[in-house]
Amino acid sequence: MATVQTDQVTLTVNGQSVTVPKGTLILDAAKKVGIDIPIFCSHPKMAPVAVCRMCLVEVEKMPKLQPACAVYVAEGMVVKTTTEQVNKYQKGVLEFLLINHPLDCPICDKGGECPLQDQTYQYGPGASRYQFDKAHFDKSVPLSDKIVLDRERCILCWRCTRFSEEISGERELALIQRGVHTIIGTFNDEPAQSAYQGNWTEICPVGALTSRQYRFISRPWDLDRTPSVCPGCSMGCNIQIDARNNKIGRFQSRENVAVDDSWLCDFGRYSFPNFQRQSQERPRIRRGGRLEDVSYDEAIAFTVDGLKRAGGQAAGWASPADTNEELLLFRRLFRDVLRSPHLDHRSATVVDAEPGDMTLSIADIERLEHVVLLGGQEVIDAAPVLHLRLFKSQRKGVTVLKVGAGQVAEAVAGVSPDCTAVGILATEANKAAAVDLQTKLQRKIKGSVRRLIVTTGPNGRGAKDLGILPHLGPGYVALNGQAGTGRTEWPGAGLRALYVHESSPLHGFTPTDAESMWLPTVPLLVFHRFKPSPLDEMAHVILPGHAFTEKDGTVTNMEGRVQRIRKGIDAAWVREDWLVFQEIANQLGASWSYESVGQITSDLVRGLPPYMAVNQEARVLWSERP
Amino acid sequence: MGIKPLLTKDFATENLKQLAVYEKTGGYTGFKKALEMQPDALVDLVKASGLRGRGGAGFPTGNKWSFLPKGMYPRYLVCNADESEPGCFKDRYLMENSPHQVLEGILIASYAIGCNLAFIYIRGEYLPQTEALEAAIDEARQAGYLGKNVLGKGYDLDVILHRGAGAYICGEETAMLTSLEGYRGEPRLKPPFPAVKGLYGKPTVVNNVETVCNLPHIVLNGADWFKAIGTPTGSGTRLWCMSGHVNRPGNYEMENGTPIRELIEEHGGGVWKNRKLKAFQPGGASMMVLLPEHLDVGLDFDAIAKAGSLAGAGAMVVMDETTCMVDAARRYVKFFEHESCGKCTPCREGTYWMANIFDRFEGGEAKVGDIDLLLDIGYNIDGRSFCPLGDASTWFPRSVIKFFRDEFQEHISEKGCPFKKSVQEAVA
Amino acid sequence: MPLAKPTVTQIQELAARYPSKQSAIIPALWAVQHEQGYVTDAAMSEIAQHLGLPPSLIEATASFYSMFLTRPEGRHDVVICVNAPCMLRGADEMAAYLERQLGVRDGATTSDGAITWHSTIECLGACGGAPMMQVDHRFEENLTPERIDAIIERLRTDPLPGPPHKGEGVEAPTPNKGEDVAQPKKPARPRARKN
Repeated sequence: MATVQTDQVTLTVNGQSVTVPKGTLILDAAKKVGIDIPIFCSHPKMAPVAVCRMCLVEVEKMPKLQPACAVYVAEGMVVKTTTEQVNKYQKGVLEFLLINHPLDCPICDKGGECPLQDQTYQYGPGASRYQFDKAHFDKSVPLSDKIVLDRERCILCWRCTRFSEEISGERELALIQRGVHTIIGTFNDEPAQSAYQGNWTEICPVGALTSRQYRFISRPWDLDRTPSVCPGCSMGCNIQIDARNNKIGRFQSRENVAVDDSWLCDFGRYSFPNFQRQSQERPRIRRGGRLEDVSYDEAIAFTVDGLKRAGGQAAGWASPADTNEELLLFRRLFRDVLRSPHLDHRSATVVDAEPGDMTLSIADIERLEHVVLLGGQEVIDAAPVLHLRLFKSQRKGVTVLKVGAGQVAEAVAGVSPDCTAVGILATEANKAAAVDLQTKLQRKIKGSVRRLIVTTGPNGRGAKDLGILPHLGPGYVALNGQAGTGRTEWPGAGLRALYVHESSPLHGFTPTDAESMWLPTVPLLVFHRFKPSPLDEMAHVILPGHAFTEKDGTVTNMEGRVQRIRKGIDAAWVREDWLVFQEIANQLGASWSYESVGQITSDLVRGLPPYMAVNQEARVLWSERP
Repeated sequence: MGIKPLLTKDFATENLKQLAVYEKTGGYTGFKKALEMQPDALVDLVKASGLRGRGGAGFPTGNKWSFLPKGMYPRYLVCNADESEPGCFKDRYLMENSPHQVLEGILIASYAIGCNLAFIYIRGEYLPQTEALEAAIDEARQAGYLGKNVLGKGYDLDVILHRGAGAYICGEETAMLTSLEGYRGEPRLKPPFPAVKGLYGKPTVVNNVETVCNLPHIVLNGADWFKAIGTPTGSGTRLWCMSGHVNRPGNYEMENGTPIRELIEEHGGGVWKNRKLKAFQPGGASMMVLLPEHLDVGLDFDAIAKAGSLAGAGAMVVMDETTCMVDAARRYVKFFEHESCGKCTPCREGTYWMANIFDRFEGGEAKVGDIDLLLDIGYNIDGRSFCPLGDASTWFPRSVIKFFRDEFQEHISEKGCPFKKSVQEAVA
Repeated sequence: MPLAKPTVTQIQELAARYPSKQSAIIPALWAVQHEQGYVTDAAMSEIAQHLGLPPSLIEATASFYSMFLTRPEGRHDVVICVNAPCMLRGADEMAAYLERQLGVRDGATTSDGAITWHSTIECLGACGGAPMMQVDHRFEENLTPERIDAIIERLRTDPLPGPPHKGEGVEAPTPNKGEDVAQPKKPARPRARKN
């Protein structure tokens, strides 16, 4: 039975018929049938402004050319994007944009991935008829410690200022002066403070805003691009590792609407120098008080020897930046092979993790009525991109209540009883208060209350899910009397070996005072890590491992989404971390035969079925009704 | 036809600025009568009168009011007193001579559309006029025309006088609203139109000073009376701001449809210094130039449009035979360059480029291709810019190139302005 | 120089007057200019504080409008219109005469600190009395060399700053005597000038 679909409209673009939902912009309708309309100011995440006037097209029955980025489709609309009038105008508007643009592409970091450059080639005039002085500004003014601003290159598309207003809400960047004298800047040229400045460089359609870190580092065409996940925090923002000559040049965002909504924070984006390898190290073992270079085999043999002696008195610490695959093998090495329960990934003792900590997804924050940020800014600091999601939610009408961690009563009072959907965000340290608040709210309101606990490290959630805890097994199962000691209890627990594994200097094993006293007394300290650290001084064995950016595997973000990380840098002389675990285990009597990370992932899913989610990069759901 | 003082009929009265004097001339009786009517009936009355907006576009005022969505409150009225079009000085004249007439018009419009808070956006340069309005608002408040329960009729109204700070673009209605909200005076995308989503996102009507000044008279005398004045599609009178090379420049309130010739030759005393008329420009800086052959065109939106220009905001700039049309165009282009808000590319960059080329003409460095280049730049601005400011920046220069291309050629061949000398003589 | 208390009170009252406190930005800038003669970054910061808005917003707005001054000027200001309707009646010649009589260039302040003058392309709305100039925000129309002389004489001998730029009884700040327009603190496009 044919029904009239009133929410769809059909129009033609360059003669091609296309049916799209009402409220679609001409630009997007054209895209749907493969017709590209050039744009500068338009951005899918921001409201249309139609200021650059690049996208003007012909629409039948409208006397003037219309901005495709701001005009919504209508039934029967006839759009033409390649007429003589449009082509001539496109040349004209590009000529306008270029009269005050320096065309210093050869020394511009944007060159090669610059919309202005690309569109000038595709639609622009061959030469300019402009014969006067161009605008002159100081070149490369530092806008902050992260960004340089070149006002000569700016085409005033307003993307960065709109980001500052609509996306981050900080209203830090603004338009100053007017007319042809308009510039962008901060108040009184004070250094920008935003935690999201890197995004300005990505949305800038010219080389006006560029990253100081990436300055003169590479040409885009020389970059090897690897899709991965940001190592900065438990948010799990998707990134692209851009490397040149096997050296990281930058992290770029890679849109995942469910997680990052296409943005990165500066902490994550600019964290890559931490993953830069300085030299080709070899394994070392301590002999006669001195560390000496040895082969992997020798170092492994030395380690196996020491672990054998320690047996159930060996402790293992794996970092919350390790992959799930590494964590699986690490756990099996300790629990199954060494029969030791002393496992941890944490830096401090925190309240028990449980599946209930992630009943709220990041994207669902937008669909709440009310969200309580328990701990206020602390939560944002732990996962800065959350702020962008919260601000977006706020603009959609969600009430965001920021309270201190101790202000549970205030938070309860701030939510009205007829609320239908409430969310709670808190860090691990304030989990107890979050649970308390949830209980109280559930009693008060008629709707649902869900919580999301911000974990530590890009895979803190995975470490919990997989049981890198002294008292819980994989899937949060109780250990029934098999529980071991956790990290804070280790000094003074009479341990005979400690194996530390870390893949990120951002989430490494930083000894506390008590640990600094204790570590020199441990008979065997194995330090399997990516980068030299003060712990090297105390280690008996140093096993070079791969950095977060140098390996394949999966990590689980705070909301339980399992995502793949990929090798962006090839450090082939370093033996794969999982392979080292396997060799140690096998020398201790196991018979593992993994040949690839993929095989470990399969095993992981077999043992922990909720991790089927890995196939869709979806969220792990621990039960039907979490 | 001819001079028809309607808004200006009492301007000779001494101290008309004072409430008591204004009331003696019949002031506020229109408002009192309006308060006895249903707001909808007022809207219908103004519709029937055929009153068209005097700000420049000539849109029927009653229709503008009726676009407000039903049941959506609060609503705002903004009186556009940001008169900044070069050549125009009529709103200033109305405000400084009879501020209460402006206020009475605002009161009637506010009541008709159901607005309880009205704004007057006055340009920053008009300080004495700001002071006059301020005093009038105070007096009106004291007398109970403003405030809670106006004249005991249960209607509340307050007026905020908001002073601009030097930006022509704020005369564009959406830019005015943006400016009134405290932002940079940049125009907004339409739709949504101000009637639906205007000031603070609420339904808003923007009416020009001269437009509202008509309201007390329409309410008092009726739609038929008003319709009988002027032309069938242009009821009433308009204030024409005459300037340039005439013997008696100034404001003249003329019945719509009166021939331009009468305004210039009779009331303006003709071209000064017994010189010949070269061209004139109705409407203000934006509008296209007209020639002596157009002198018999009527002073009316539609007639002037038919002649190839626009009546705009009622300016009449007269240029005699010694005028350098290139320099006149240069001034206007430089004005638009100065006043471009910078929001859209064609206007921001195009006016800047045109201004550079015009300087080159006056500086004697223009090249043969520059005339066509100007036309081409104009083509790429007109109809492409975000708001009418960009479009308008091209109309006068392009019309001048059309009618006076020779003068541009002469600037090129003589490497400078052939009129410089005669202008100096003219002033000497 | 922090804002005077009456100015702060005025700003707070303005914020309460409008449906949105942001609408008070332009009136607040006027209040500041009235008190201090021009608008400094510090004053914009203060406005931001009193209105609870980011300071970038105040600067974005302030810099958009041509009437907010960013540097101290003379006791009196004189602005002469050179747009077309005035040009037709000899504005260029009057501007040249004014320049000669004042002895300083367009945009500068006389050496006695009495007068800052500049020409403007922005029509001031007195074309019927062209050529014209705006003296301390009052129009002087139908200019002739003699009238200009008389006006200059009056201004030079008037020791008090002209309204409304400076608050009565407030000492006028020291202008850059006899100097050209200071470069805007932000690098501007070529030929940039705020007037």
